[in-house]
Amino acid sequence: MKIFVLILAMALVTYLGRVLPVLFLGQKTNRPRVEKFLRLIPYSAMTALVFPGVLYVDKDFMAIGLVGALMAVALSWINMSITFVVIGAILINMLMYAI
Amino acid sequence: MTNKEQYLLGVKTALPVILGILPVAVAFAVLSEHSGLTTVETILMSILVFAGASQIMAVGMLVAGAGFLPIVLATFILNFRHVIMGTCIMNRILTIPMWKKAILCFGVTDESFAIFTTTAEKNSTPYYFAGLISVTYSTWVIGTIAGCAASQFLPTLVSRSLGIALFAMFIGLVIPNVKKNTQLGFLVILTALLNVNFNYFMPSSWAIICATLVGAFLGVFFVKEDQEEAPE
Repeated sequence: MKIFVLILAMALVTYLGRVLPVLFLGQKTNRPRVEKFLRLIPYSAMTALVFPGVLYVDKDFMAIGLVGALMAVALSWINMSITFVVIGAILINMLMYAI
Repeated sequence: MTNKEQYLLGVKTALPVILGILPVAVAFAVLSEHSGLTTVETILMSILVFAGASQIMAVGMLVAGAGFLPIVLATFILNFRHVIMGTCIMNRILTIPMWKKAILCFGVTDESFAIFTTTAEKNSTPYYFAGLISVTYSTWVIGTIAGCAASQFLPTLVSRSLGIALFAMFIGLVIPNVKKNTQLGFLVILTALLNVNFNYFMPSSWAIICATLVGAFLGVFFVKEDQEEAPE
């Protein structure tokens, strides 16, 4: 029962973060600088989500995250689709754990 | 495009991302089952919360003996980045009624944000977003169920290797754009450095939010965009 209440509370605070922009964002901005800021956020956000967090995928074995990430960079650099980028990174990590 | 075509385009665009989400869902389910949550609780959390990193953190904190309030507070802080992501997404679909946005915003996640905001602006419509999140949400829930079923006999080798999936997906979404625009590459390096530094004096979830905002703010001054449209 306690876990159930915890899950509900987690759901509530998570939805709160998602619904705030809906409640407080009125008219579309047409200030070019603000528009540009919003267009750049995806790139800064994804970068911040990946680095340095990826190094701690396995806290006891930092090379796992590092090599997995480098593999993903290499595969996407040669224009592999997301599917193969993800599979490649998982496979190299499996290989590293196996040996 | 008709509404239906926009929805289907969203579904189609999200298909490759299944592979980024599924492993994380399986990993969460395995962790959750091993940390003493029942199968029903595990699946219910995925249905109601729908935020991978915070779910994984929550079961980790439960194992470590954390109480109710710290876990809820950590969840709120960790998921606070959705405010920024939601702002970017809602800014493109402002015209639809409030109640529709109140439903669609449940689908704001790292993944749906990543795909939606890297889609050309003319295609990033409400129906397109609905298509995207139908795929991401069902993948997350089905992946959790599959993970619960498999948790008994999934080799550790496999479950441990799944953690990289989400990171690989973000890398795969950013790199093609960096290749096209060198200054975007500088923005990526700058943001990474900012994030490393912020990590020294704040919890990492706040560091991510600050690095995202400061990085994009500085980028406004030095990134040159090729076209008006966001690159795809």
